Amino acid sequence: MDNVQISQLALWGRVQRWLQKGFTYFTLLFGLFIAITPFIWMILTSFMSLGEAQGIRWIPSSLHFENYAIAWQRAEFSNFFLNSVKIAAITLTGQLTVSVLAAYAFARIKFPGRDLIFGIMLSTMMIPAMVLIIPNFLTVTWIGRIGPIPWINNWPALTIPFMGSVFSVFLLRQFFAQVPDELFDAARMDGAGHLRFLWKVVMPLAKAPLMVIVVFSFIGSWNALAWPLLVTNNDDWRPIAVGLYTFIDEAGQELNLMMAGAFITIIPILIIYFFTQKQFTESIARSGLKG
Amino acid sequence: MREYFTAYLMIAPATILIFTFGIFPVGFALYVSMHKWRIKQGDFKGLLNYARAIDNLIYVLLFALAIGALASVYLLLRRIVKRVQEGEGGAWQLVFPGALFAGTAIAFLRWTVLLLPEVLDIGNKIWGIEKTRELFNQLLGDAFRTPQAYAGWWLFAGMALASIVVAALWGRFFRAGQNLEQLSDFTIAWLVLALGLGLAWFTYHEVVSAYQAAFEEGSDPGIWPQIITIGSGVILLVAGWKVWQSAARQDSNWAFAGRLLGALGLLVGAWLLIGELPIVMASGDKDLWKGLKVTIFYSLGTVPFQLSFSLALAILLFQKFWGSDFFRIMFFLPYVTPTVASAAVFRQLFSNRYQAPLNQLLLALNLEPQQWIREPQGIFTMLGETLGFAVPDWAAGPSMALVVIMIYSIWTYVGYDTVIYLAGLGNISTELIEAAEIDGAGKWEVFRHIIFPLLSPTTYFLSLIAIIGTFKAFGHIWVMRQQEAIGTVDTFSVMVFTEFFEKLRYGYASALAFVLFAIILSLMYINNKVQGSKVFYG
Repeated sequence: MDNVQISQLALWGRVQRWLQKGFTYFTLLFGLFIAITPFIWMILTSFMSLGEAQGIRWIPSSLHFENYAIAWQRAEFSNFFLNSVKIAAITLTGQLTVSVLAAYAFARIKFPGRDLIFGIMLSTMMIPAMVLIIPNFLTVTWIGRIGPIPWINNWPALTIPFMGSVFSVFLLRQFFAQVPDELFDAARMDGAGHLRFLWKVVMPLAKAPLMVIVVFSFIGSWNALAWPLLVTNNDDWRPIAVGLYTFIDEAGQELNLMMAGAFITIIPILIIYFFTQKQFTESIARSGLKG
Repeated sequence: MREYFTAYLMIAPATILIFTFGIFPVGFALYVSMHKWRIKQGDFKGLLNYARAIDNLIYVLLFALAIGALASVYLLLRRIVKRVQEGEGGAWQLVFPGALFAGTAIAFLRWTVLLLPEVLDIGNKIWGIEKTRELFNQLLGDAFRTPQAYAGWWLFAGMALASIVVAALWGRFFRAGQNLEQLSDFTIAWLVLALGLGLAWFTYHEVVSAYQAAFEEGSDPGIWPQIITIGSGVILLVAGWKVWQSAARQDSNWAFAGRLLGALGLLVGAWLLIGELPIVMASGDKDLWKGLKVTIFYSLGTVPFQLSFSLALAILLFQKFWGSDFFRIMFFLPYVTPTVASAAVFRQLFSNRYQAPLNQLLLALNLEPQQWIREPQGIFTMLGETLGFAVPDWAAGPSMALVVIMIYSIWTYVGYDTVIYLAGLGNISTELIEAAEIDGAGKWEVFRHIIFPLLSPTTYFLSLIAIIGTFKAFGHIWVMRQQEAIGTVDTFSVMVFTEFFEKLRYGYASALAFVLFAIILSLMYINNKVQGSKVFYG
């Protein structure tokens, strides 16, 4: 009798566990469905013919790969792609140089006013971008007029304001501060100065945060919309987000082309994300930044 | 010494860039907001841009700010007096060097403000002609030598020189260290005092000129009564609250009387505010209040949902099982997707065509297809119509177009919040949970009494980020807004941007941006006070 009861209890426990597991999977699958349905719809629509895309079908009857070629040509994506890559590369180079140097000084050298300057820098993170956008536009126009090269419709306006990134300085400083002092003492014994120590010892150790900055900064320049809209008025230097934005309006009812265009702009980000997703989510979890 | 030099050299590029594009613009925006400025700088308008946005409220706010500044000077002085009484160093004579340093800072600010229009003008002068270094240097020299700027420069230079001399002497004859704190306190006290008095004087001046203008028109702006009513309303509220609180701590008849008094103060204060504030608000810019309403709807409709969905997902994902990493990666996908692309997809999913996926879903459920992103009507009004009763205007709720944007926003940010919640869950020690389970706590009890309280710092952080995020929201709204629903989806950021980018009113847009900034700052302060006291750090 007892044995039967025990086995019944055990069975009940197992059923309960199965139910729980089923509930977990069901909820997660439902979440997954909502999270990726827009992507699936986008991809499926991008392969349809115009008539199908405007209809109610979800599955294309035949795959129209040429949509991608047409969208690519019509939106002049090659130009916008190149622009975005160039903008991202220039921004990144500048931002990395500037923030590595500053972060090192903040983390490892004691100098008068250090905490004050760092504190003021950090406090600028809560200033909303909309307050800055108008005066920065005026400043950039002014510098472009008096300086040797124009800034509006050119790379400086799109890149230089983003080179001084408080987020990057902060992230790197947190990391550099953890490098043990013994390493520095040993390097000093060997006659290495700050720059050498930074280049030879600290930088190789800091691959993870540097990677994070590269990825964030790339995504940032890829997504930028408001500022490029302001400081460009022709296609010479317009980045991909602006290109897609204008294409969406022009494509009007041609959903298949629009979705092909949207997917084209997503692909590079998807590739970067899937390759770096581990560091990516970890660094977000650790720093919690980038609203 | 060389070490210092290296350090300053290393931080120089970052500091210069962040100053030019992150700190200086705040002052510059303030300057722009006080001018008529449509592409080019126009006349000085004082507070008129602000008065157009929020009407007389700006005078009330600035007087409040001035009083706040003076009050903080008082608090600072009390701290200094206490420190001197306790004999922890600090001499009263430091009040003079403090005044000198503060004066130097103000003289510098004054000089930059005087120089700024001249320097800005160089850009216009040089525009279109061939630029040479000589020409630019000459123009810069001219700008520098305009009488006003020149006088400002000499005042600043003289004071700076005096400051350096005093600082050198002081460093020579006194021991630094503790006195340094005293000195910086004095400097800050003088600065804030000058700021408070300057603000009060400026606001008074503006009020007087507003009265003069109104007198010529033969109308009455009624600023003073409003300032007095709203001001005393606020003071009564605060005082009433304080009395209520202090009475709660004592138990006697006095406490009862105190509570009564406090409640009375609260009631009268609240009544004054409720009576006066809407009148002031109504005479400001209608669009601004609409934008604010949209923003508030937007944050109320996104933040709580976003946080609760992501908390649920995080708790499910936290149990390691087969495929949990896959789910995490996929949930995060919307967050990294370029905004313009995903917003374009949502624009089509929620299109008003009856073939669009969401309308097809409604048709399949035997419901009527909707206008979605082209629907300017409030959702409660629409709900009322279908159920057959009329909903009053004030309860119309967010427009359906805005609801679609909210859905997009939730879809985007749930993955991000989940990742942060997962990190927060990872920090909770399993021992606590196991101990509770041994004591017979069920799953829900463990969640309610252990996990949820221990997660409160994460929740606090996420809600702060999310609320600030709603005020920053721009890209997806810009892509998804349609002509038919345009006034009902424009949050504050979008409003500022259109005012600037489409209507080219730089001055007014800057003033609006500052109103936005003030709102964000006060939200952060309130969030800090309300939620911060409930946050439980393990």
